[in-house]
Amino acid sequence: MITVIKPGMQMTIQDLGRHGYRHLGIAQSGALDPYAMIIANRLVGNDDNQSVIEITLGLAQLQFQCATVIALHGADMQAKLDGVSIYPGWSYPVEQGQTLTFATARQGFRSYLAIKGGIDCHAVMNSTATDIAAGFGGLTGAPLQANDQVPITPFDGNWPQRGAIAPAKRSVIRVHSGPHQQLLSQQFSDFFAQTKWQVSPQSNRMGVRLSTEHNQLMHTHSLPSLAVSPGSIQLTPSGEPIVLLNDGQTTGGYPLLGTIISADQHQFAQLKPGDFVIFEFVNLAAANTAQRKLDAHLQQLTIALKNLSIR
Amino acid sequence: MDQQTISPTISVLSNNSILLDATALNDDSLSIQKKIWALVQQCNTSDAFIDVVPAMHSLTVYLIDPTSLAHWQAQLALWWANINPHDYQGKHHKIITQYGGDYGPDLDYVAEYHNLSLQQVIDIHSQGHYQVLFLGFQPGFAYLHGLNSQLHTPRRAQPRTRVPKGSVAIGANQTAIYPADSPGGWHIIGHSDFALFDSENTPPCAIQPGDTLQFVTKESVL
Repeated sequence: MITVIKPGMQMTIQDLGRHGYRHLGIAQSGALDPYAMIIANRLVGNDDNQSVIEITLGLAQLQFQCATVIALHGADMQAKLDGVSIYPGWSYPVEQGQTLTFATARQGFRSYLAIKGGIDCHAVMNSTATDIAAGFGGLTGAPLQANDQVPITPFDGNWPQRGAIAPAKRSVIRVHSGPHQQLLSQQFSDFFAQTKWQVSPQSNRMGVRLSTEHNQLMHTHSLPSLAVSPGSIQLTPSGEPIVLLNDGQTTGGYPLLGTIISADQHQFAQLKPGDFVIFEFVNLAAANTAQRKLDAHLQQLTIALKNLSIR
Repeated sequence: MDQQTISPTISVLSNNSILLDATALNDDSLSIQKKIWALVQQCNTSDAFIDVVPAMHSLTVYLIDPTSLAHWQAQLALWWANINPHDYQGKHHKIITQYGGDYGPDLDYVAEYHNLSLQQVIDIHSQGHYQVLFLGFQPGFAYLHGLNSQLHTPRRAQPRTRVPKGSVAIGANQTAIYPADSPGGWHIIGHSDFALFDSENTPPCAIQPGDTLQFVTKESVL
């Protein structure tokens, strides 16, 4: 068992998400930075899709009621195990009774805690991911609260300490152009790509609202509902874009400015309220190259870990 | 037929998703949507997709393998050209509904707005034959086609913070059933115990895009 002492801003159980249900209005959910989650899982010998704890911003505290092995990845929240600093990208043994505390993320917004063997959690539609808006998944369908008991299987064997590096960070988020360019005119795309946008505090796992001074993207278009997905950039009539994240709805009637390329969605999801972001339109080839680079990063990790275990 | 000579726009949304947009076609609204459902059925015969999501006169597919994007863009166009709107037959559902009173606090308003009696509103609503256009907004929320224009009612000026699960409601030219408690600006005219969505059921939603349904009066609570 892990006891939640302080959940911080938001703490949820996630995996790689719920797929194949969007036509029923069911969101994908799942870790917003799946690369950080996968790397953390691999460091403790888990399958990529094992349930993890997603920590938002920090200010959280967990106590382990049994021995295990953990790894953190994603935002660095200056975590300490019984007062001793531990670092993202490494695995650590944990003894029964130890407390893990998180301060505040200096850079990035979400951190992933992988526990050896994962979390013993009932899957809903083949996934343990917590869908907060719909109220299912995780332990209770809600974010973790103080005093919640997260069931895990104890592990007190030897486990080699392992480290792994994260994919390179980016400051510019790359975007596919949207299907409504004719409707919105070229000025809209130009303004969007030439503007430094700020992440609004009214952002959550469903979507990130972006704002800027002297916004020139006001419009009155309303469209027949079309499918939207994580990474879709919807343009609201006020001119403020909303970038959908994993808990976002499945259909919407706002024009789309574009879609964040698959390789950059996890980078975007690490932005916190107040952060600034710049977008750049790229072509399909660039998006594919970027995705292949990320895939290669994970592939190298697989090989490295295999060599480690042989030695 | 006209619709087979006029093509929808098929565009790439991302390196693994394609949008087929038929919103610009000059055709009967329902027959375009029927082709969309038939196309969904066709797509579901393949295991190439993570998700196949119909919406209003459009369809978006999410591919497992991004390298097959160009192939599927061409394939969707080919399928569309050869699909008949009547190639899809959905299920029919009877939604047993209690109208008015505590079950439908806005029935009086809707009747008054249209200068109809409460019974007339119930009759018009329950005699309708509705098509499930697509699902969205929240799990199991079905967008229905077929509300009689006599009942089209502008949304409430003040949306409710909580519309109870099972509420049968009217908003503008649409009617729907709320699958879960949620905020909402539609007029609640009745209630149904029909379970639209249960995360533990397989499949979790009783109603699918392309199905048909009717509201059946259980008893009028006037």
